[in-house]
Amino acid sequence: MRVQKVNTIAEYTDPAAPGWGSVEVTEIETIPAPLGLQPTEYIQVSWEERPYGALEQASLRAVHDGTSIAIQMIWEDPQPSTGAGEGFPDGAAIAFPVHGEPELMQMGSPEAPMQFVQWQASKKQARSVLAKGIGSTLPGAAVGETATGSWSGGRWTVVFTRSLAGEGESANLVPGSNTQIGIAVWNGSNEERAGIKAVSADWTALALDR
Amino acid sequence: MTDKRQVAMVIDLNKCIGCQTCTIACKTQWTNREGMEGMWWNTVSTSPGEGTPKGWEKMGGGFRKGKAQPGKLPKQGEFGTAWNFNVEEALFQGDKHDTLGPIGGDPNWGTNWDEDIGGGEYPNSFQFYIPRICNHCTKPACMEACPRGAIFKREEDGIVVINEDHCRGFRFCQEACPYKEIYYNTVTGTSQKCIMCAPRLEEGVPTACSRQCPGRVRFLGFLDDEDGPIHKLVYKYKVAMALHPEYETEPNVFYIPPLAPPSFDEEGNPIDEDRIPMDYLDSLFGPAVGPAIDLLKAEKAKKKAGGESDLMDTLIARNWLDLFGPFTTNPKDVAKTLEERVQNRQG
Repeated sequence: MRVQKVNTIAEYTDPAAPGWGSVEVTEIETIPAPLGLQPTEYIQVSWEERPYGALEQASLRAVHDGTSIAIQMIWEDPQPSTGAGEGFPDGAAIAFPVHGEPELMQMGSPEAPMQFVQWQASKKQARSVLAKGIGSTLPGAAVGETATGSWSGGRWTVVFTRSLAGEGESANLVPGSNTQIGIAVWNGSNEERAGIKAVSADWTALALDR
Repeated sequence: MTDKRQVAMVIDLNKCIGCQTCTIACKTQWTNREGMEGMWWNTVSTSPGEGTPKGWEKMGGGFRKGKAQPGKLPKQGEFGTAWNFNVEEALFQGDKHDTLGPIGGDPNWGTNWDEDIGGGEYPNSFQFYIPRICNHCTKPACMEACPRGAIFKREEDGIVVINEDHCRGFRFCQEACPYKEIYYNTVTGTSQKCIMCAPRLEEGVPTACSRQCPGRVRFLGFLDDEDGPIHKLVYKYKVAMALHPEYETEPNVFYIPPLAPPSFDEEGNPIDEDRIPMDYLDSLFGPAVGPAIDLLKAEKAKKKAGGESDLMDTLIARNWLDLFGPFTTNPKDVAKTLEERVQNRQG
């Protein structure tokens, strides 16, 4: 997946910004996060016979302006859930390796962590999250993360932004070099939360234009 | 290094009059903040009945042969949402007043909603109250279910608490708890539950529900304190037992099962037949309930005949403070020392 260089990402933060029309699309396939990797026996037995992570793919586009990156993610969801009251919200996340070679399915490890930016339909603020393995997530270093979502015509369009540079335990994205991206999607109307989600089966290479 | 100990409670169902003083003591102490309007960390419901949340005994969770069992996520409507009354409109508007009633239409469920139903047929109808709090289980299904490790059991007293800084509101705990004693706060986005008045116990003060109970119903103490009433009632006399032990979570709240007057025949004469069907009590407390009822009846008869009964004396609890094991401090005194501590710090 290519991250095209543009003058400023300010023109891309709106999910419906016209500029996205001329950016290459990459389809990333998703699968249900494996039941066997769910961190507690309760979650495993309670979802054993219950379908989840039914989403098969999401469409991604990405641009950067030398300082920040914007990633547009589009996926089908006929029944949006904003998580009002007791409901579970729809959600999505984009993940990058911090260092080493984290296993995406294992959500990294203490030696090879990963960082993700999470959007939830119930919240205005995006979250930066650091993961060093399943069930280990902690607030991640601030990377100027934002996420804006819009639902229409049976699909969500969410634009994530963050700074390219990341200090400390955060993913540092460098123009002219390659890294990797992984995604996750939660379908709130199916009570999907935590590890009950659709995920990309493995990392997708991400090449940032110089 | 602290010793692993377990605080426990014994609730004598023969003395509970369903006055809800415990419920209100808890409500005003712990669940009077935003997002907690519909929460009752202590409930007193009528048995037989659907209870709180409605139909909780059929919602699953817990363990079977050691394996976690799926559970249903209880909804706020099943606990009963809070409502307010149109006091201003009904009472302070002169002649053109509304009828006093709940704002926003009639509610259709709440704690102890099925109070007047009970079981059995007249003249052999029966009912009793069951106060419930979190059971602070030895094997907490909520703790096992949480993917974030946000629930833990304190070593020093076995109290099960939720770390709300780690809780993300996933609510697997709510599903997994077979007693459905966990609530979800939509304002904070976290799960919340009875904390066994941990900050009070730390100061030697009994739980609010125990101390405020006018019926001296709720014994408190450490399970391993051989001199305390809890140990005596649970282990020595074996008359206090867990509710639904089949869920395998090993609760640390125990109940003295209810006795009832004898049944009557059609002529109105007492007959040798249990008013509260033994299979119903079995379904609540398991097979240990039969021998417990027999012993309670025998000791009661002994006492009635003028004999001595340590068991009956313990249950009667003539000395109020004997109910609370080591937790006999008056909260008033703690408030004073806290004030002094703050003043010393400032001074």
